[in-house]
Amino acid sequence: MDAKQHALWIVAGLKKAGIDFVATLPDEKMVEVIRTIEGDPGLKHIPLCREEEGIGICAGAYLAGKKTALIMQNAGFLNSCNALTTTCLQFQIPTLLLIYYAGDMGDRGFTTLGSVTEPALQALGIRYSILRKTDEIDETLCGAQILAEDSKKPVAVLLTKNVLGVK
Amino acid sequence: MMQRYDFLKAIAGDAGDALAVCTGWGAREWWALRPGDGNLKTRTLGLVSSIAAGLALALPHRKVIAIDGDGAFLMNLCGLPTIALQSPPNLIHLLFDNECYEASGGTATASHVADAVALAKGAGYKHATWVKTPAEFRTEFVQTWKRNELTLIATKVEPGQPGDLPPLRLDEIENKYRFMRYLEETEKRGILNPGFDSKL
Repeated sequence: MDAKQHALWIVAGLKKAGIDFVATLPDEKMVEVIRTIEGDPGLKHIPLCREEEGIGICAGAYLAGKKTALIMQNAGFLNSCNALTTTCLQFQIPTLLLIYYAGDMGDRGFTTLGSVTEPALQALGIRYSILRKTDEIDETLCGAQILAEDSKKPVAVLLTKNVLGVK
Repeated sequence: MMQRYDFLKAIAGDAGDALAVCTGWGAREWWALRPGDGNLKTRTLGLVSSIAAGLALALPHRKVIAIDGDGAFLMNLCGLPTIALQSPPNLIHLLFDNECYEASGGTATASHVADAVALAKGAGYKHATWVKTPAEFRTEFVQTWKRNELTLIATKVEPGQPGDLPPLRLDEIENKYRFMRYLEETEKRGILNPGFDSKL
């Protein structure tokens, strides 16, 4: 497992999907992804203090033509549910949500968070895919972004330890 | 003390083609004073400043005005350091502090003890200042526009608005499309994804 290599693959996938504007709030498991984004001159990186404001920043940037993604842990996804509802869904504004799936099968310490993540996405009507294999990164990220733009809604990709190359 | 409308009226003629992000009663007042498709009315309490910041970052050559209130401002305090970290010079953050949740029934906010200008400065805003009168407000607004650095201009106002404000005749979706089409027109480039049918 090489988290740096996996981060390069994920960020390359984001760029293939057309993403050029990324707001982030770290989970330990996604640090290499965020460092790679920070170091990439082709991506505008906005570090956040709380995930909900990231929805606002991404929504504003989308209105002006940016292709936006928000990278966060699933706790942060829960923090952003009101903004997802009353900004993204109510105005039909897409954004790609890359969510670290804490409490996924095999992940310790966040079982309660893990158990509400998919039901919360379903309740909001946000379509999602769980990314478990590195050879599915490009297809999943590009597909999710096409779906987001075409449906004009947020689409989520849940990132797992395996795909991030972390233990 | 004056109302928000009196202050907005003082700057409406100076706002040119600036994009304006507003909410609640402030939106109706601003639309009445500066009608047009460069106005966006948000729905998520607190996110006016964040949405305006996203626009300002994506359009660094355009002025973006955030018309904020104390309840929303206090709800999104963690948005301030995020904005200050990027420090978009073209973002003019206006705060109308009536010390209550006016649109939610008028109960008190904490802004009679929490100083918004101190909060913005503490978060890293380059400039933040209180003004008292519409004339001072206009002077500060015009200076901010010329200086082109991230600024919060705050003022205490009485709750309330004129009784004869025209209603806003558009929902969120229409507002969004008109705003984006206005940006396409004025930026002279395509923004909205034309969608699947464009290939037929």
